[in-house]
Parts: sequence; C-alpha cells; structure tokens
Amino acid sequence: MSDKEILADSSRISRRQLFQWAGAGLLVNVAGTMLYEPIGRISMPINEAFEALLLSSQPTPEFPITAIEPDRLIVNSFRGIPSIDLANFQLTISGEVDRPLALKMPDIQQLPFTSMVIRQVCVEGWAAIVQWGGIRLRDLLTLAQPRSGAKYVYFKSADGYYESWDLASVVHPQTLLAYQMNGKDLPAENGAPLRLAAPIKLGYKQSKWVTEVIVTSQLLPKRGYWEDLGYEWFGGL
Amino acid sequence: MGATTGKLTGGQPTIARLFHWVNIISLFGTIASGLQIYNANPVFGGREGIHIPWLITLGGWLAGGRNWHFALMWVYGLNLLGYGIYVFWTKRWRDRFVSDKDIKALQASSNPKRRQYAWHRIVYTSIIPILILAIATGLSMYQPVQFYWLASLFGDWQSLRTIHFMTVPLVLLYTLIHSTLALGIGDGKIATAFLKLKSRDI
Repeated sequence: MSDKEILADSSRISRRQLFQWAGAGLLVNVAGTMLYEPIGRISMPINEAFEALLLSSQPTPEFPITAIEPDRLIVNSFRGIPSIDLANFQLTISGEVDRPLALKMPDIQQLPFTSMVIRQVCVEGWAAIVQWGGIRLRDLLTLAQPRSGAKYVYFKSADGYYESWDLASVVHPQTLLAYQMNGKDLPAENGAPLRLAAPIKLGYKQSKWVTEVIVTSQLLPKRGYWEDLGYEWFGGL
Repeated sequence: MGATTGKLTGGQPTIARLFHWVNIISLFGTIASGLQIYNANPVFGGREGIHIPWLITLGGWLAGGRNWHFALMWVYGLNLLGYGIYVFWTKRWRDRFVSDKDIKALQASSNPKRRQYAWHRIVYTSIIPILILAIATGLSMYQPVQFYWLASLFGDWQSLRTIHFMTVPLVLLYTLIHSTLALGIGDGKIATAFLKLKSRDI
C-alpha cells in the first residue's frame, strides 16, 4: 500500500465503530458521576495538605485600586438576602476562648480598619478584583483570647449558612470581617453588615451576613454548607 | 535513516509506552472533568454562554468535575515530570525530538517518507510545550495567590482562563494529526511500536 492508501484506510470509521465509541463514552460518563465521591476521598486530603503547605502567613500581593472590577462580581447566595435588624445586630465570639465577646457595629467600627484590593475567586471559575474594608479577624481573636487547643473557627450567618476554617487562615493578615466594598458601605446583597473577605480562600468559604464566630478544637461532622454537599473543605488559593 | 527505523520496529521501551498511555488517559480525564467545571460558568459568555454537552463531561456536577480534575492533575503532572526525567536521564531528548536534521530534510530531501517523518517530529515535539502550558495555566488558576508570579504571566483572569481552555482544542487537533501521521508512517511502524498493534490492524 502507498502512504496515501494507508492514511485513507486508517481514517475510515464505520457506523458500528461510531456506536461503540458513543457507548464507551456513555459508560465512562456514568462511571465518572458514580465514582466522584470515592475519588474525592482520596484526592481531597492530598490537595488540602498541599494547599495548607503552600499557605504563607505573609500578606499576598494586592492590586491597585484602579483595577477593581465591580461588574464582574456575581452575587451568589443560597436562600436570598436575610432581613437583619441593625439596631439589635451583634456579632458574638464564643467557643474555645477565654473572653467571649458580643459586639455591636459601632464597637466593631472602633477596631483598627484594614483595606485591601484582592481577587475574589469563585469555585465556578470566574473571578473579580474587589476592594474590601473592615477589621482583621486576628485582631478580634486577640481580644477574645483563643485557648491553646483552638484549631478551627466556625462562622454562622443570619441566613443559616455555615462555614468552618483552619485557624492559620483565620489569623492571616488579610482575612477580614468586611463592612465596606469598593469604597462604599457593604451592600445587603454582598453580606451587610459583616461578611468574610480574604484573598486566600475560594468564594464559598467567605460567608456573608456573619453573626457568630465560634472557636473550636476540632472539626464537627458539619463542616460547611457546600462542603457537606461535596466541595473541598480547605478551599485554599 | 535505516538505523532509526530499525529501532522502531523493535518497539518502544515499556516505560515509554507507559508514560504515553498514562498521559493519554489522565489528559482526556482532565479535559472531560475540565469541561464539567467549564459548564458552571462558561469561559465564553459566562452563565449565558454555550454549555458543553453532558456526554463529554466527567463528574456529573461541579463538585464531581472538580474532584476528578484535581485528582487526575496529579497523575497527569507527575507522569509528565517522570517522562521529563526519563528523557533527560536516558538522553532520549537528543534524538527523539525535532532537530535541524529534520529541517534540512524538509528543505532538501526528495524521499516522501523522510519528509513525512520530519513533519511528524515537528508535530509531536510541539505537544511538549502544550502539555506544560496546560499545567502552568492550571496551577495559576488552582493556586493564583501562592503562585501569583506564575499567574501574572498570563495577564488577567479572563485571559488566563482562555489560555487554559485553549489547550483543549490544541490537544484535540494534535491528537488528530499525530495519530494520522503515526498510523501512516513507515507502514505504521511508530503506531505499531506504541500501540502494539499488528500491522494488519492498521
């Protein structure tokens, strides 16, 4: 056979072969859906250890304020915007701490203000550069004085959303409870009066409408709304 | 020429075949699971954009796609690293990739098989930077903060996503050309060597 004949011969696909390929594809597809949980049980601990290893306690590089992308920030919530009575709103810090706290917004605004321009990255694949202003969680924890066994921090929100973080990420210098966004008061749909904001975690870790901060020595069976449905817990960037 | 083709009829070393097949399976797994992730927010057009048909995705939903993608990335990446060490260790890089001899052959040789062989060496050498680009852009999106210096090479987030996605059509185009050439050269000697096919199967 000449080269041309060989090429023509090898590129001919019969209808039967086409059906065989489609059948194999379907099988792989169904197996892929059935097996993603056991695959995750193997890969997620590896990836989480890798992300925790990479995590630096130093501030990450920020963007200039001119780089903000307000149009790119998509609003995601799981039950819509909760109604919050600001007059009675308070943030509590409890759990494995020596000094449990209950703070009202004016108290919180007395604490040192930090502003940062960072990239907000969503698990869905999109990202937006945002300016956040608020208080550092590490300052809040300094006031509450976590006990020596403290390793995790739970965040509960007014809409029922819940999250848990590793302590190292919570005390990162750019992990904020924010009440300002892109130079203005934080809008209700973005989590007013207080929400988590940090460059080092995926968006689903950054709870909106935070009302309770609970320090724990271990992870509970419930680790976070999306994590309990299948997302990775660490969610580091 | 005779010496080179003589080596090929003897077949590729088992370890080379292993690198080749682990690469194919993990790469197509990361592509299918990547397309599942793509559907959460299409690179082109966002949520209003065109979605990938479910049959060629892997994982069932976003969390499933991510589990597969971030599991297979290790297999894919470590296999490529292993292959890199192997080609340097065994000095295969000296004669397995495109060289000035192939360019000269394309300019001067009138032997059609030598010319096709030269083209094929150009083609399969080109997959190496594509495979590395997929890892570099993928790592930039997976850890954009810890690898900010790497991520910044690819411009803004949208261009980073676009480049990462473009490795998919590049790999598919490569696969088409490479398999056609591999099955067509020297009565299928390269394909025989890699796929362990009998020549009448081709």
